[in-house]
Amino acid sequence: MPNRSTSKNSERAYGLSIYCPIKNEHEGDVSFTSLVRTALQDFKEDEDSPMAKVPNTYLARFFIVDDVIFESFPHTNDHLQSAYLAFSTNFHGNLDEYLTGMYENMNTKIHNVWQYCYGFEKVKDAASFIAYIKKVQVETSYFFVGSNDDSLPEQLKSLYLKQEFSKFVFANQSKSDDELLAAYKEFDARTKPAVLEGPTWRAGAGSLKNVNKG
Amino acid sequence: MSNIAGKAYSMNLMTPITRKMILINKLIFWIAGTPYFSGALNGLRTLSLIHYARWVVVGRKQFPHVSPDQPEEDLEYNYMFFNSNFNGSWTQYVDSFSMAIPSGLNLLWKKNVGWPDAVPETPFNRYVINNQIWSSHYYCAYPMAASNDVKAGQSIKGGVEELSKGLDSISAADFRKKYDATTKKLENDISMMAPTPVVSLANLAIEKRERIEEGKK
Repeated sequence: MPNRSTSKNSERAYGLSIYCPIKNEHEGDVSFTSLVRTALQDFKEDEDSPMAKVPNTYLARFFIVDDVIFESFPHTNDHLQSAYLAFSTNFHGNLDEYLTGMYENMNTKIHNVWQYCYGFEKVKDAASFIAYIKKVQVETSYFFVGSNDDSLPEQLKSLYLKQEFSKFVFANQSKSDDELLAAYKEFDARTKPAVLEGPTWRAGAGSLKNVNKG
Repeated sequence: MSNIAGKAYSMNLMTPITRKMILINKLIFWIAGTPYFSGALNGLRTLSLIHYARWVVVGRKQFPHVSPDQPEEDLEYNYMFFNSNFNGSWTQYVDSFSMAIPSGLNLLWKKNVGWPDAVPETPFNRYVINNQIWSSHYYCAYPMAASNDVKAGQSIKGGVEELSKGLDSISAADFRKKYDATTKKLENDISMMAPTPVVSLANLAIEKRERIEEGKK
């Protein structure tokens, strides 16, 4: 299935692409397309982004296709009849579970943005949201995973451990065997390497000051 | 509007495909996706700066139509969308592709309308600029980590979990041997992460960074 990578060890990552037609209407002097763009630009960034609350999101973006791109003459000057809201997300796991998590964790933002799109008026809950998204989903032709397909909690714990273990290695050079073992026992008790819930990194955190959680 | 989320950059390219080429373009991607030929795109892996990337070919009659009120599309061309999540600047990325895998790019964008070939760089860069669509919102779950950090983290987690086994019964001398072997094995993965340098000289970008560093919103 092209929405997933066909490469070995990366089949658990999913690439969802949707193109939602925006109504050719306006509110006062402002087009619905501009209202969608404004709603998206009002999203906060990093850990305050609504996408930070959606479980298992690696990376996601929203963009607006106002029209197709003209490659200059002698090529044909094509035009779209509607602008499209594009949402492209890379996540771990199953599509229905992901969309349910998305609707449950950011439905106010979803309705703020998607209210201007054709067909969205039928969306009232997670099930109707999933049905709508599947109607506007387009199949990925080729999905490349250059990272890995671990769950997000697993990736965030791994990054936390990378940071903490690197600090540990730098801080414990030239220690005696007894001192090293004692220091590592303290490290193990503090970082809990096998516990994904915490301590770990906070999804979306962009600063070392607030990245640790738990 | 932002194409940048920490160390990640979001690129969106939209390029037209003629009616007679669409089946060939789809066939190229299908072949590239088969396990037998996936090695042909190893150049992408070697570049090592991509988190996730995708190519989506939308036929001229395949733009979603969800309501009777929505006007029907009437397009001459099919369109391919390329969405990439990579580390580094736009220039670094576009130049790396052009230098490292020009034949791969020419294959993936084979005969797209206006495609100038991946080299020389100037017309290639101009094509990318002309066909790029800016993201209105971009999110990355780990803005301080590059793709290589995520992969290194996976290795380190495995090493640390192994090192933590049997801590109550191991002697200090045996632990030293195990620790030295682990750190030797992980030496390319051990490094600390930090926020990316501010790549924009705009006052707003610098002020935003200062606010983040001070823990303010």
